[in-house]
Amino acid sequence: MKLDPTLHSAATASLETVINRALRYDPATRLKLAKLAGKSLVIDISGTDLSLGCHFDTDSVRIVGQIDNPTTRLSGSLSALLSLALSERLNLTGSGVEAWGNTALLTDLKSIGGQLDLDWEEALNELLGDILGHQLANSARAQLGWLRSRGASGKRLLQEFLTEELRAVPAAPQLQQFSDSVDQLRLATDRLGARVERLLHKRRSPSATE
Amino acid sequence: MTDKKTTHFGFQEVPVEEKAGRVADVFHSVAAKYDIMNDLMSGGVHRLWKRFTIEISGVRTGDKVLDIAGGTGDLSYKFSRIVGPEGLVVLADINESMLRVGRDRLTDRGVSGNLVVAQADAQYLPFPDNTFDCITIAFGLRNVTDKDLALRSMLRVLKPGGRLLVLEFSKPQSQLLSKVYDTYSFRLLPAMGKLVANDPESYRYLAESIRMHPDQETLKEMMTAAGFANAHYHNMTGGIVALHKGVKP
Repeated sequence: MKLDPTLHSAATASLETVINRALRYDPATRLKLAKLAGKSLVIDISGTDLSLGCHFDTDSVRIVGQIDNPTTRLSGSLSALLSLALSERLNLTGSGVEAWGNTALLTDLKSIGGQLDLDWEEALNELLGDILGHQLANSARAQLGWLRSRGASGKRLLQEFLTEELRAVPAAPQLQQFSDSVDQLRLATDRLGARVERLLHKRRSPSATE
Repeated sequence: MTDKKTTHFGFQEVPVEEKAGRVADVFHSVAAKYDIMNDLMSGGVHRLWKRFTIEISGVRTGDKVLDIAGGTGDLSYKFSRIVGPEGLVVLADINESMLRVGRDRLTDRGVSGNLVVAQADAQYLPFPDNTFDCITIAFGLRNVTDKDLALRSMLRVLKPGGRLLVLEFSKPQSQLLSKVYDTYSFRLLPAMGKLVANDPESYRYLAESIRMHPDQETLKEMMTAAGFANAHYHNMTGGIVALHKGVKP
């Protein structure tokens, strides 16, 4: 089913507002994006009629539904596109995503996205004023720091509990050793299979080796 | 006995030579509150319709764009940013009051260098042949006395391969929507016009002129007859508005 252009325009307008507003709080990223001015990216979500285009201008980005002859065009399922966007990989092989046009634009966008650093404090200051905004940002930073350290130590403790106390899962070195043994076994089986195949072939046609 | 030619002005039949003057009176009257009323009448959706028009126009850096019946300059503003300093946008309107509001608004928004303003009649566009890459006319064609003449005039000033985009109210595609829309147009719209602009008559004319405007298929045929190739349209918001596009061969 095709989306009414009004709804589609509403969605692209909202996305464009969010992106451009976020870019206001990251001048470094805005400057890097300005270098892409004039280029455009289209993302086709396979299995749907949905396409999303992004024009890079000197001081903003424009999100639209369609662009004729974009710099780069990507096509794939929503899950494949999302996992590519969230992963650190740059290689499209095996990702389920196909690309046409200039793929250097993707590399540039990936690198810019990796260095995104939004100044949330500035956004809060604009909304609540300098004093309240700064207090809230400090408090949020402290909470976030505490959550990060709790998260890291919690992960380590859970790991130790599962491997050392419960012995429910093997430790990483044991798993690695097991994995190496499986690899060795697979290689040995492959070699044995090849040897058997060669012997059978020799038996079927003894003159072939002569 | 004289056989005077007439045309419609809303639901009334008026002599052809009177229509332009009457339409001009309506727009002189609504110009000052045009933007507020547009937002109020459409719930802001007119911005999405115009956004889609810009998207479909395919306008690029360096293009020359003519925005006919450009009124308060919504489309011209966006186009001036897209075409950049190498391009040109002409904001044209037959109505001096609307044009003045549009010019002032664009100046206030910092648009300069690539935008010119022209008071022009869509039927007799004062530009050389093959000048523009794209022409838009948003919510203006229904007020033109001779639409066929205007379409031919637009074809003349377009470059070969240039696009014409006509954004206009049209015929809703469902019966239910049509009934709701009629109630809204003939009861709520004049009431809003009275409340906000103290001018119910002008807004009654707007509602009536929408009903008298050709529907989607008729306008498509008119564009083809005028000489446009690949004439087609996109219905928006259930057909309340349609965007027609044609290309100069």
